[in-house]
Amino acid sequence: MATSDNKLIQVKDLKKYYNGESIKALDGVSVDINKGDVMVVIGPSGSGKSTFLRSLNLLEEPTSGTIIFEGTDITQKKGPDGKKLNIDLHRQKMGMVFQHFNLFPHKTILQNMTLAPVKVKGMSQEDADKKALELLGRVGLADRANAYPIQLSGGQKQRVAIVRALAMEPDVMLFDEPTSALDPEMVGEVLDVMKKLAQEGMTMVVVTHEMGFAREVGSRILFMADGKLLEEGSPDAIFNHPQNPRLQDFLSKVL
Amino acid sequence: MNFATIGQNIVKLTAKYWDKFLLTGMGYTLSLAAITVAVGAILGALIAFMRMSKIAPLRWIASIYTEIIRSGILAVDIGQTEAARSLGMSHRLTMTQIILPQAIKNILPALGNEFIMIIKDTSLASTFFIGDLMTQVLVVKGATYLTIEPLIMVAVIYFALTFVLTKLLGVFERRLRRGDVR
Repeated sequence: MATSDNKLIQVKDLKKYYNGESIKALDGVSVDINKGDVMVVIGPSGSGKSTFLRSLNLLEEPTSGTIIFEGTDITQKKGPDGKKLNIDLHRQKMGMVFQHFNLFPHKTILQNMTLAPVKVKGMSQEDADKKALELLGRVGLADRANAYPIQLSGGQKQRVAIVRALAMEPDVMLFDEPTSALDPEMVGEVLDVMKKLAQEGMTMVVVTHEMGFAREVGSRILFMADGKLLEEGSPDAIFNHPQNPRLQDFLSKVL
Repeated sequence: MNFATIGQNIVKLTAKYWDKFLLTGMGYTLSLAAITVAVGAILGALIAFMRMSKIAPLRWIASIYTEIIRSGILAVDIGQTEAARSLGMSHRLTMTQIILPQAIKNILPALGNEFIMIIKDTSLASTFFIGDLMTQVLVVKGATYLTIEPLIMVAVIYFALTFVLTKLLGVFERRLRRGDVR
């Protein structure tokens, strides 16, 4: 399938309904995510922004609409070759970071990071260890490689979760409220890692309540409410010249 | 009934038949319980998987073991599955590497409790003269025409078995829990 080079994910008219049509978590969202975008999704709770993010790698199965990732419509049951679409292959290319870290408690930090590269990508344990240690070094946690998740602080856990996803060498990183479960003094260390990642050119989609991060690091801001994408623009446009009354109201409450 | 006589009889029976109670009877009782729990757990695990699968036909088969194992698996935080799947791990890999190792912690203590329950239930097997503790009561009764004494003796053994195992299980469970909430 031919796509313009720059478009990494194309979302078209994405809908997610619960209970028939009584709850519309996503109500027709369309957006293109380009390579190098740092797309920050903001909006009140229950606006559908997490559902939107979790739909991108099909952790939530959309009711209708299409998601074209690197040229493949991953919402189809069958791939372009006519065989059953293997979502695992596409998920390898989409790293995800969760609000509650979701590190594997029975495995060490190093094992957390090397499990998928070894078992899924077929990397040798030696290479995977080397890469994991290098990544841990970049977030200042090389000395914790053999610790278990329970021995880390929240901020450390989330930094590990980020490099665990990076160890798969994804083309895009999805962040689902990565600092919402952290103690306030640990928010900074996680945002710093994300900022560094953005500066290195990683394509990122970030659902967050951190308006400072959105304004400073975001390249495009999406404002969602009631399952709809109500406004989209540069940080300057969104924060300094908001058009939609819902957005104006939201910003007056959070800023 | 004369308690002094019962006491003396128990002392005599202990001297003469201790091996029947402590070796043969207890051996059979524990093996029976272990086999029952093991077979139940293996069958239960298979059925638990079937019940959670999308294939309907076998879902109606249920037992205490499927429930123990199923709830043990379901008790593992859904975030663990999501994290594993988001890394591109298959359903099978997620199960074997991430979910089951954590589910074991929930399953083993419950299986232990089941084992202790079954120890008591194995007394029913004496109906078929299988060799367990209650069978030994019948053996001794047949040889000596004494009833209450061998019953008291196996009652003490049953109590000791379940009491000791319950305590051991408690220790084991606390050790498992120690590594939790990482």
